[in-house]
Amino acid sequence: MNTFLRVENLAKAFRGESVLRGVSFGLESHRTLSVLGRSGCGKTTLLKSLAGLLEIDGGEISLQGHRLNGLRPQHRNVVYLCQEPLLFPHLDVWENVVFGLRLRGVAETELRTRAEELIQSLELAAHTRKMPAQLSGGQRQRAAFGRALIVQPALLLLDEPFSNLDPEIRAAMQQLFKRVARQFAITSIFVTHDLKESLLMGDRFAHLAEGRLHVYETREEFIADPLTGVGREIEFWNSIRSEAMYAGV
Amino acid sequence: MWPKLARRIFAAALSAACVFPLGYLLVLSWARDWSFPHILPPRLDASVWSRVWDGGSGIGASLATTAGIAATVALLATFSGFLTSRVIARHPHRSRFVFLAHVPFAMSPVILGTCLLYLFIRLGLAGHIGGVVAGQFIFSYGYSVILFLGFWNERIHALEELVFTLGGSRRQMFARVLLPIAKPMLLVGFFQTFLLSWFDYGLTIMLGSGRVVTLTMKVYAYIAAADFYLAAACATLLILPPLAMLLLNRRLLLARI
Repeated sequence: MNTFLRVENLAKAFRGESVLRGVSFGLESHRTLSVLGRSGCGKTTLLKSLAGLLEIDGGEISLQGHRLNGLRPQHRNVVYLCQEPLLFPHLDVWENVVFGLRLRGVAETELRTRAEELIQSLELAAHTRKMPAQLSGGQRQRAAFGRALIVQPALLLLDEPFSNLDPEIRAAMQQLFKRVARQFAITSIFVTHDLKESLLMGDRFAHLAEGRLHVYETREEFIADPLTGVGREIEFWNSIRSEAMYAGV
Repeated sequence: MWPKLARRIFAAALSAACVFPLGYLLVLSWARDWSFPHILPPRLDASVWSRVWDGGSGIGASLATTAGIAATVALLATFSGFLTSRVIARHPHRSRFVFLAHVPFAMSPVILGTCLLYLFIRLGLAGHIGGVVAGQFIFSYGYSVILFLGFWNERIHALEELVFTLGGSRRQMFARVLLPIAKPMLLVGFFQTFLLSWFDYGLTIMLGSGRVVTLTMKVYAYIAAADFYLAAACATLLILPPLAMLLLNRRLLLARI
């Protein structure tokens, strides 16, 4: 197995309280690891630790064979996207998307070529000159994706990026992300507290609870584990269907 | 109909109350031989304004001194307050530092000036423009810190982290994100600290020891000398520049209220 990202015994505590305990996993390149966990279980702490935004208390993180421990966030090539799209309010969509390339001093012609291709993929071509306040929630999230993808990060960390969207837009964004992830061969970790979303978004699956991460070998193993709640969910919908059928008899 | 009329009358009265002091000062600065029982001045001429600009009265020099001190204090207080407030906002003992920032406001500028005077005499700052700038800076810096504390919220922190993960350095984060976003607030901070210094009298008279002569001191001096026409001209000069700044930045400043 080509282990693109390797995390070993990652530990993090806040004021004596352990949030992450001995978290270990590996992820192959061009795959999405879906991490399911309820609110407050440490999902954000895990992602921020990988991004270098939090100093870890123990463990080893390596990406593409390079050790990340001690490296500043700007040197890791790992982009962290939080729940809110967080577009820069003083820049229009185009400038938001190309922001990372401008930081790197990329030449204007190359910048334009890369940005136009990406903006087309994200269906934002009609909105490039709009300011963030003029966009819908879904459009803002797409612009935030574009800004993250254009710098070609080695690893993309998504912290419940669709949780603030209404169900219809959320479903559309999930499909868009899967398409874009395939198109641009992204390696990512997607954390969510939504069971259905975790099943939809991942190629690999994990469950985070009480600071410990359990990684499943297969999707079926994830579904079968009572801790994930998939079984309970299936039983619930089956019981609803049975009640409906009984009422119809 | 009556409420609409009452609103119009109220608006007119309020506008007149705001404009009257400036209007009155302008008329007084152009008046000659205006005494009781005349409601309006018997004649107007520019002799007072000629004295203002001919250099003999020293008003032009005071205007330049006041503008220089205010601009220096505002620039220093705005940027140092902005950066200091960032440190305080993220500090585990934030509340202690916020309390300290309020300390200069617990005393009047004259008391602050009195407390600092001995130290400034020992340091050779008393009676110099540098001493007045330093004294006013202490007051304005605390104000600036308190003003900018509200800027450093969780959203700004998240934006900073985003810039880092996109590969930006700290310098790029400030130059490309924080300063542009903070620009309206920085302008407000500059304007307000400028005004604190511009209209200051207590600190200037204590720490300037009478050798640093600003426009506010000129106004008081002419009133004490019963030269109300020249005092009115100086007072007009005091009011007009901040008024011009307010009009130029009207959209920006009034949007913050």
